[in-house]
Amino acid sequence: MRLSARHLPPYADGGRRMAAFLAALAFFLSTIEYMLPRPVPFMRLGLANLPILLAVDLLPFGAYMLLALVKVVGMSVLTGSLFSYVALFSLTGTLASALVMRGLRFMAGPRALSYIGLCVAGAVASNMVQVALARIFVFGPSARLMAPAFMAFGLVSGLILGVFAEAFASRSVWLARVRDEQHD
Amino acid sequence: MSTDAPAPTPGLLSRIRIKLLDVLILAVSIAALVALSVLVYGGAASETLVATADSGEWVYPLSVSRTVEIPGKLGVTVVAIDHGQARIIDSPCANKLCVSSPPIGKTGEWSACLPNGVFIRIEGAKKTDEIDAVVR
Repeated sequence: MRLSARHLPPYADGGRRMAAFLAALAFFLSTIEYMLPRPVPFMRLGLANLPILLAVDLLPFGAYMLLALVKVVGMSVLTGSLFSYVALFSLTGTLASALVMRGLRFMAGPRALSYIGLCVAGAVASNMVQVALARIFVFGPSARLMAPAFMAFGLVSGLILGVFAEAFASRSVWLARVRDEQHD
Repeated sequence: MSTDAPAPTPGLLSRIRIKLLDVLILAVSIAALVALSVLVYGGAASETLVATADSGEWVYPLSVSRTVEIPGKLGVTVVAIDHGQARIIDSPCANKLCVSSPPIGKTGEWSACLPNGVFIRIEGAKKTDEIDAVVR
């Protein structure tokens, strides 16, 4: 059963329980991700974005943005970077990708746009916003030298995660049940 | 760039249906990536010497060895470009600090004769084997 964000039935609690569950999932996935070795320090798969990706079709807008915010704060606590500029990068990157994905879904339903396109667009948006921030706060004009590499990272990691999300969504019993419950 | 990505099992991949807008987003992203790469890494491959004075700005390729004269406030500052490096060899200033300063040759390096109001710097592509910055 597919469901577009445009005709999302309202949750009784505004999606708070679902948002809390997805946030917990994000923390768990980010812990998993930190166990994986990284080829390049900045190169992340972005596993913790999977719950946000799923939430595009599950949560009302307020709870959706809250989930993105909670994910950033929670991950920053986990990595100890809450009060460093890294958290600022994380925050703007996550918010940008959350807004882009939600905006795309608003324009196109699941028939025309799958998690793959959503995820690639979100990842690229997140990385480009962070490059823009790096230009303003850290590296100055030479930040443009990192832009193509970051964009390529975003493209590849977004593609991998999007394909994973699509594969997961196609057979997850849990997700199917959640979507059914929304229709009740 | 490959459009297929690893998935947990082959059985899962067969269920994935790529939609029209997915293709569009991927195409736009890849096109933007290529354009960005060309914009950032292509062109302006060689480093140049940029000399700025009150009377204007001059740009010289660093690869061609020669001596150039930059008119300043007090007189003419003579800059020698030699084997990819530039240095001020004469200037009408009192202390000749500029003449005794080391030659410049890498992007971002600069030198100046302040009394004469002449500023020289290297611009152009960075050598990729060099470290821009280290973050700890």
